[in-house]
Amino acid sequence: MSFSRLVSRWQGLALSLVGVVATVWLGFAGQLGLYIHPRYSVFTLIMAGIAVVLIVGAFAVVPSADDEHEHEHGHDHGPEHDGHGHGPEAHGDQHGHPVAHDALVNRNAPGPGRPRRSRRFWMLAGTAASLAVVAAAVATLLVVPPSTLTSSTVEQRSINSSSATLGSTSAQAASTTDDTSAYTVKNWSLLMRQGVGLDYFAGRAASVTGFVTPDADDPDNVFFIARFVVTCCAVDAQPVGVAVYQPGWQSSYPVDSWVSVDGTFGADPSVLSTASIVLQPDRISAIDQPSDPYVY
Amino acid sequence: MLVLLGIRWLAPASLTEWMTDPARDFVTLTISVIIESLPFVFLGIVLSSLVQVWLPEGFLLRRLPKNPALRRLSISLLGVLLPVCECGNVPLSRGLIMSGLTVADSMTFLFAAPILNPITIITTYQAFGWNDGILVSRIVGGLLIANLVGWIFSRHPQPEKLLTPGFQEACAIDAAAPRTGRLRRTFLQFSSETSAMMPALFIGAGIAGLIQVAVSRNILIALGSNPLWSVLALMLLAFVVAICSNVDAFFILSFGSTFLPGGIVAFLVFGPMIDVKMLALLRTTFTAKTLVQVSILIAMCAATLGLAVNYVL
Repeated sequence: MSFSRLVSRWQGLALSLVGVVATVWLGFAGQLGLYIHPRYSVFTLIMAGIAVVLIVGAFAVVPSADDEHEHEHGHDHGPEHDGHGHGPEAHGDQHGHPVAHDALVNRNAPGPGRPRRSRRFWMLAGTAASLAVVAAAVATLLVVPPSTLTSSTVEQRSINSSSATLGSTSAQAASTTDDTSAYTVKNWSLLMRQGVGLDYFAGRAASVTGFVTPDADDPDNVFFIARFVVTCCAVDAQPVGVAVYQPGWQSSYPVDSWVSVDGTFGADPSVLSTASIVLQPDRISAIDQPSDPYVY
Repeated sequence: MLVLLGIRWLAPASLTEWMTDPARDFVTLTISVIIESLPFVFLGIVLSSLVQVWLPEGFLLRRLPKNPALRRLSISLLGVLLPVCECGNVPLSRGLIMSGLTVADSMTFLFAAPILNPITIITTYQAFGWNDGILVSRIVGGLLIANLVGWIFSRHPQPEKLLTPGFQEACAIDAAAPRTGRLRRTFLQFSSETSAMMPALFIGAGIAGLIQVAVSRNILIALGSNPLWSVLALMLLAFVVAICSNVDAFFILSFGSTFLPGGIVAFLVFGPMIDVKMLALLRTTFTAKTLVQVSILIAMCAATLGLAVNYVL
């Protein structure tokens, strides 16, 4: 069997295996939440389990189907077919039925004028592309360490631009039960989005955790302590955040590093920044990235 | 498998420090699309081999009405029984074509099922309730468009010309294959379907990730409050984000206040039928020409629907 057929035969199983191994590993490492909402974790892991069974079964069965094919292959392709070679499109033919195969080979065969060399070139190109896809999949899914989204995506999607997800939780946030000790970045930013004003916020203490991302209009004095809100997977992540007024913050806290801030809300002293309410920090401490960096 | 686990285990954690932020986000977003879609693709392949291998031959097709329009209508409701979102739908439709469904009918199924399936309907209801007719417009609009596409392509003189040669070949071989050894056939089918689907999924996810990083979302969102532009901007957004129909209602809800309902309806109808990832998956089965025609047709229908909701309702 030629190398290119070998590649096209196993490519799907190899990619499935890469995907499944990556999924299961993320599941056991508790890092699946970096990519999908936790409500899909169980479904994702169950399907990965089913896929493992199918992959193992296919690994057991496909080689023997190849033998069958090789066997039929002998009388199937007489000398009159030699000119056709085996194009990349011949990958689905495990069963190798002589009649069907002949009909199709004829239909797909290049015209008599088409040189053999260009066909060989395309076959090699196809094989190289297949291998490249597998290599890229291994690299992205298995070699690159799992990570969260960065401030570059915050810029892309502009912080607090969405009315931040989920009507049900916004109702919760609005019912200003005065216990705000458990409020996250998301709760606070929702309150601000809903137009709750300075008369509510002024002097109120807060303790929030998130990553550092610069304010777009006044990056020297104001930074946002931000989280991504995820509704399905990282693709739909929306940044939310609370503005923190701290001139010269960039010398102590790198962008994208995680911090925990205690402080009180007040009017924004910055004239450039569009945030009207900021957190004036009493204490900022650098922390490790939490195991569950997104909020839901 | 152990080798792959070993690679994962040994890969140094500091490996990506040289990468710029956009590059890292591109990788993260790509992985996210893959991890999210993979279980649905597996589910689609499993259901597809259920239909092809385990159900008695013609079990589903024999029960369909003979009248073409009625048949397409019942096929579009098949999604209620087989709840897969759009990525799982492609392998399932391939399975249906292989077991004898016509190409046009399978297109009806392909485009209707992601919208007319219980999970999608429930999540859309949870997200929007009965507000602004979004739920009803989505269901009715999706049904109409899928049936229209099916009807138009059923007039095609040579429907097999709509399919790629590779897939035609797979069909011919499947039709000629011996009907024995169900378990074995399930495994073989899994192998051949993953060979077709997985490269498309991975490439589609990569393109989707790349566009996310390259296209600023703010521009699209800025267009959201204009009756005409909101429809077009949101269809473009749907095409770009390539998110599953089961959850896209929550996604768009997060922008709910900035967009007009027509735009949201266009997003919810167009996205499940055509997007970056879907085109990559569909290309395994349909010719490029067919896909261009279908995309334009569906885009025009979805835009009309969205504009109608904005201007009429």
